[in-house]
Amino acid sequence: MGKKNKVILPPNLPPEVADDEIEVSDEDLEFVGRNREYVGFLTKLDTKSIDRHVKRVANHEDDELEALYEKRNRKPSLLRLKEEEDKLQVDPVDALPVKTLDGKLEYRTADRSKSGDGTDGKESAMGIEDDEKIAGMMKLTKPEKRLKLKKSRKEAKKLAKVEEKGDGGEEKLHSEVLAKVEEDLSAEELFRKKKIRLAEIGLQLLENPEENIKALKELLQICDDEDQNIVKLGLMSLLAVFKDIIPGYRIRLPTEKEMEMTVSKTVRQQRFYESTLLRSYKAYLMKLVTLEKQPSIRQVAVRCLCSLLDAVPHFNFRESILASVVKNISSSDDTIRKLCCEATRSIFSNEGKHGGEATLEAVRLIADHVKFHDCQLHPDSIDVFLSLTFDEDIGKSDVLKEPVKPKKRGKWKNQDGSKEVQGSDRKKNKQELMKKTREEVSADLKAVSFAPDSKDRKLMQSETLTAVFETYFRILKHSMDPSASRSKVNAVSLSCGSGSYPLLASCLNGLGKFSHLIDLDFMGDLLECLKKLAGYSDHNDGSMQNHLSVSERLQCCIVAFMVMRNNLDALNVDLQDFYVQLYNLLLEYRPDRDCGEVLAKALKTMLWEGKQHDMQRAAAFIKRLATFSLSFGSAEAMAALVTVKHLLQKNSKCRNLLENDAGGGSLAGLVAKYRPDATDPNISGALASVLWELSLLVKHYNPSISSMAASISSMTSMNPAHSQVLFSTASPLQAFADLSTERELFKPASKAASLRRKRTREIEKDFVVMDPDQIRKYENMIDEGVLTRKFKDHFILNKGIMENERLRRELNHTMSSISLYEDYKRQKKHKKER
Amino acid sequence: MAKKLGKKARKFAKKKLPSVMKRQRKLNSMFKKKSAPRRLKVSNEVFLEESNKSKNVQQTHGDREGMILDEAVYNNDLGDLFHQDDYDLDEDVSVSDGYISEDPECPYISESEDEICSEEKSDDTPILLQNREIYQEIAKQKRKLDKLCVKDPQFSKFLESRRSDLHKSKSEEIYSDEEGDASADDDGIRESETSLSGKVLTSSTLDVWCWMVMEQPNSSTLSSLLYGFRAACHYGVDSDEVSQQKIANREVFSKLLTFVLQEAHGIFCRLLGISGSMNKENMLKTTKKSEWKSVRPLIKSYLRSSLFLLNQEMDNQILMFVISQLRLSIMFFAAFPSLAKRLIKRSIHLWATGDENLSACSFFIIRDIASKFSSDYLDICLMRTYRAFIANCKFMDPANLKHIKFLMHSIVEIYSLDIQKSSQKVLVSVQQLASILRQALKIKKKEELKKIHSWQYINCISVWVEFVSCNFKNYDLQPLVVLIIEIIRGIAHLFSGPRYLPLRFKCVKILNQLSLSSGVFIPIASLLFDCLDKRGNINVDRTQRSHVDFFSLLKAPKQLLKSRDFHEESILTAIQLLSEHFSQWSYHISFPELTTIPLILLKRFHENTTLESVRRTVKRLMDQAQQNSEFIQRKRDEVSFSPEDQSSVDSFLQLEKNDESAPFGRFYASIRHTSISQNMIH
Repeated sequence: MGKKNKVILPPNLPPEVADDEIEVSDEDLEFVGRNREYVGFLTKLDTKSIDRHVKRVANHEDDELEALYEKRNRKPSLLRLKEEEDKLQVDPVDALPVKTLDGKLEYRTADRSKSGDGTDGKESAMGIEDDEKIAGMMKLTKPEKRLKLKKSRKEAKKLAKVEEKGDGGEEKLHSEVLAKVEEDLSAEELFRKKKIRLAEIGLQLLENPEENIKALKELLQICDDEDQNIVKLGLMSLLAVFKDIIPGYRIRLPTEKEMEMTVSKTVRQQRFYESTLLRSYKAYLMKLVTLEKQPSIRQVAVRCLCSLLDAVPHFNFRESILASVVKNISSSDDTIRKLCCEATRSIFSNEGKHGGEATLEAVRLIADHVKFHDCQLHPDSIDVFLSLTFDEDIGKSDVLKEPVKPKKRGKWKNQDGSKEVQGSDRKKNKQELMKKTREEVSADLKAVSFAPDSKDRKLMQSETLTAVFETYFRILKHSMDPSASRSKVNAVSLSCGSGSYPLLASCLNGLGKFSHLIDLDFMGDLLECLKKLAGYSDHNDGSMQNHLSVSERLQCCIVAFMVMRNNLDALNVDLQDFYVQLYNLLLEYRPDRDCGEVLAKALKTMLWEGKQHDMQRAAAFIKRLATFSLSFGSAEAMAALVTVKHLLQKNSKCRNLLENDAGGGSLAGLVAKYRPDATDPNISGALASVLWELSLLVKHYNPSISSMAASISSMTSMNPAHSQVLFSTASPLQAFADLSTERELFKPASKAASLRRKRTREIEKDFVVMDPDQIRKYENMIDEGVLTRKFKDHFILNKGIMENERLRRELNHTMSSISLYEDYKRQKKHKKER
Repeated sequence: MAKKLGKKARKFAKKKLPSVMKRQRKLNSMFKKKSAPRRLKVSNEVFLEESNKSKNVQQTHGDREGMILDEAVYNNDLGDLFHQDDYDLDEDVSVSDGYISEDPECPYISESEDEICSEEKSDDTPILLQNREIYQEIAKQKRKLDKLCVKDPQFSKFLESRRSDLHKSKSEEIYSDEEGDASADDDGIRESETSLSGKVLTSSTLDVWCWMVMEQPNSSTLSSLLYGFRAACHYGVDSDEVSQQKIANREVFSKLLTFVLQEAHGIFCRLLGISGSMNKENMLKTTKKSEWKSVRPLIKSYLRSSLFLLNQEMDNQILMFVISQLRLSIMFFAAFPSLAKRLIKRSIHLWATGDENLSACSFFIIRDIASKFSSDYLDICLMRTYRAFIANCKFMDPANLKHIKFLMHSIVEIYSLDIQKSSQKVLVSVQQLASILRQALKIKKKEELKKIHSWQYINCISVWVEFVSCNFKNYDLQPLVVLIIEIIRGIAHLFSGPRYLPLRFKCVKILNQLSLSSGVFIPIASLLFDCLDKRGNINVDRTQRSHVDFFSLLKAPKQLLKSRDFHEESILTAIQLLSEHFSQWSYHISFPELTTIPLILLKRFHENTTLESVRRTVKRLMDQAQQNSEFIQRKRDEVSFSPEDQSSVDSFLQLEKNDESAPFGRFYASIRHTSISQNMIH
């Protein structure tokens, strides 16, 4: 218990008025000197006050506004603590973790409430609380209190002023309206006043939410202001207040029956507090939702909603927040969309905060959203699903645990029984007591934390999954329907997204990620769907007419394989169609248009990782990939060659491709002749061919490819025992990344220190590129007559220029002499005057 | 001169640099008001050099290479590379030991004054007209002044007293006023008028001198002649000198210059007893001879004066003459490093900016220096030529296409002189290009892309491609080739889309060239597949026919994109490039495999396209490639070796290759022929 207290307390301690902090602690010292019994307590606190002090300095250096917000953040948690204390006194039945407080603290709360009764509730400024905390029993004299109060007010004003500085002077339009109401004040003053008011209320609320809970209404009223800046400020301060004062539990309003029951004063107070809080919170949310439609305040409103969702997902009215956040999840405004996505992601990743209910709600809402908009959304809205985590072990761990637990309990009971029998075994008794306490603590912990039991969680998770897959399938289905999309593409113009199916790519990503969770019942349909999407609708139509991009189709194949791999035992579906697709898509691939990584990934998932049972097919792919690398860039070629090598290693019979046996040897099989343009790998007759490509690839400019080709072509002599050793570890994906242009340019070119001179150049041939005859003609091009004339012209020109210069100089000289005459006359006058 | 201008000039240059630059540019075309701006120009250069020097002073000599690269990467500016070699070439400009005095013994033949100032009467150039106007103005003002003096005699006294003050202030103004130079010290005129050393070089005197020098090259006449030559070279530039008075008329001027330039080298050779061509060892021997001591100042004076003339002169013909005459005595420059550096600087400038002939002549000088001088000079030449090339290849149009081609070839020539040395520099330069590209790939901002998508960048790459393809056979340039290919592929990757097709074609062409010369296999087919894919709606109206020449463009103009011509032309170009690629490997054993995928795509294209003219060409290419494949396959069936056996693969069909009996070879020859003739028409 003590431990827990320590954990909670230190960050809670509020940094308060700095200036007289030292004085107070001096007084404390005196006080301590007088009352020795508190020394231990104080020493513990002293370090904290130093810490606080340090923090304080940092805060002041920062922007004042920020400081205010930080303070607010810190204080309320303390306040919440206090609330809990109160509750402990008032309502011990409450399931709050009040037990965590030790006796000392309990004592203090009691004291506080007493002293609070004594002083004016509103005047209990933050400083007072603080001092009370520090010096428990010590009572401050009245002047001291007043001083503190003043100080806190001053600070509030200062803060308000700083705020005002930021936005002041903008509000001239409103002055006319406001002038009627407040004639004495100019618009700016009014603005400032309002801001001060905002700050005051905010501070009050943070200081003592119970007492000042009514102030929330006033804050809400301020948010109705006509001045948009005020509204924004109001919304932000409300956000800060709510974030702090909202308790860590969900408020349940008392039923009528409960209302009728007579309760103690404190309970009534608590009820009033909660209901007011709830009511204002509701009003605030409604305001946000309405304001969110106004373009000017929109960002602020969305920001408030998102941070509320992030901070208090456990609290009441989460549903409405979620609804409006999800609504904005595919907003065309980048910042809003990012905010919403972030908020949703945080919901998904911090399930501890709300117990997973919010996740389910969010997923469902997104699903509805997708449905409503007919899949024409920004891909971000689906990408958030990727941060979902599904814990497969929920059930298992519980199953493992549960049988143990009752057993233990049984033991205890037995022990209880035995204890009674034995009676005097003190040691055992003590142990048991400890165990019991521990048990109680853990039970409390469970009650406090929002972890619902495994059954609920499992249920929730499966429902979430259902909703996610529902969305995915909807998107897939939508993509399969060409007529539906085509017409709407024009209507819904989306900045991002590939082509007409903005969601498809991220949907396929998601399916790939969660492929292991797909229900077996869906599997057949899903594969069918993917098959169609991959372009295998029918042969006449051909892949040309397919409306999806090559990358998307490759992705379909990848997903199909991943799905299959994860559930290989359960289903026995032939993936031949997808192989055919890949075989043909290799021809469609365009390096600049399509994503090379996807191709490499497809090679990896479909050929590199899987096992090829069909030799014809493997040979066809080997041949096609080798041919492919003759036409494409080094990265793609490398990915293909790595796959080829791998296939050759795994299928020893295919190594016949490397040897030039007449007629392809005995393995030519059904098809005697290789048909490179066949669309089906099985009938291409690749086994009859020879991998002549390798001999050209050996000449490839890229040394790694040429060495790869050389190593492949030397695999003929490889003996089976060796093959395991030679197994290459790099996957096609890796190979692709290694040889991508960006990477290639980074490679430090080895400084060719000594250039090997292959051949000595013929000495006679002076020129490498130029034609010596042609060059020689330049040498005798000078005509002497022309030259003489040019020289003469040159001379004349120079002479003329020199003459010109000379004349100009003379002219200037004369002119200046004339102008000197003026000087002269003046001087003469001077003399005369004298 | 530079020192004389001193600090003030530098300050001035700093202050008014932009305007000076503007002026300079104007000057090049207008050729007016020579001396004043020229002085500024020099001071300006001094300033620039100074700043460069200070910038590079910290760089130690040792790890220069690495630092350039770093710096270059940091700045990512092409021009920054090789900056560090900017040793102050002008630092010894003011060292004037080349000055020789006139020998008083030489005979002067006095003539009637008629000859001296006879020519002006006939000429009527604008500058003379202006002179006349100014003269009238002076007369008017003088009269006014005289009147004032007559009116008030005391004023003339006052004037005298003030005159000296006036001069001082005037001379200070020179540096702060652009035009101030023209109105420089009027004192000089008076003095020169009075101290005019009666000896004027007339044409008969010159004739005698020439005769004497030719007959008996003794030093005294020669030095007088060279003194006169110097005066002629400086004519019109140094206004304070006697030079302007020294030359009697234009006949003398022209004769003096031509004679000295033509004969000086021969005379020096005779004096030193050298016969035939000179090389480094020869030169070294010469400098040890006893005659050298006496001839050295003469040679130096001659070279200095000629260089001065080279720097001043604007006319191409004269420049060419001077340059080609200087080339004869190029080895003498080896004895005067500072002059040699100036010569390099000037000739590189002329090489980069001059017209065809001048450029060629200057190139010979550079090449001679690079090949015959010590390796330090080679370094300088390598760096400076490349830098000058970078500065001058920013724009390409049909007019300067030939010139840039010439510049490229010359760079390759110079870099090929010493591959060991130059390959390092090429590597650094290519790495710099790579880093620019890398930056662009990473950031993808408009400015970065613009850097790549410029003729400057493309030309730089082309130079090195040319260099590699010239020298690949003899040297092992493998790492360089790989890097260059990656860069080119990177460029093609960075700029996809129909607008950049011209650039794409250029890249493919370069790759083909590299592949052909180096013998490595470079897959280019995928770079051309884009053209074969279905494009959006093509404008069918054929009213406007415009020939699109892809190789003189980098980016296609927007209005062309949808035109049928553009589409047609792009496909035809692609076909041409593809067949070039095929033809290179048409005798290789894997030719059938090489053509597999392109043929499948071409077939599909052939089925779908509506452009009749393109259809025919595509069909032809397909047929020919098919035939060739069958031919290779037939031959291949006869052999028994496996792909593993590389040596057998290499010798496969070598005999046929020499006969050119494969079907595709013939086809490609015809396609090339048609494309060349087509280009001729356009």
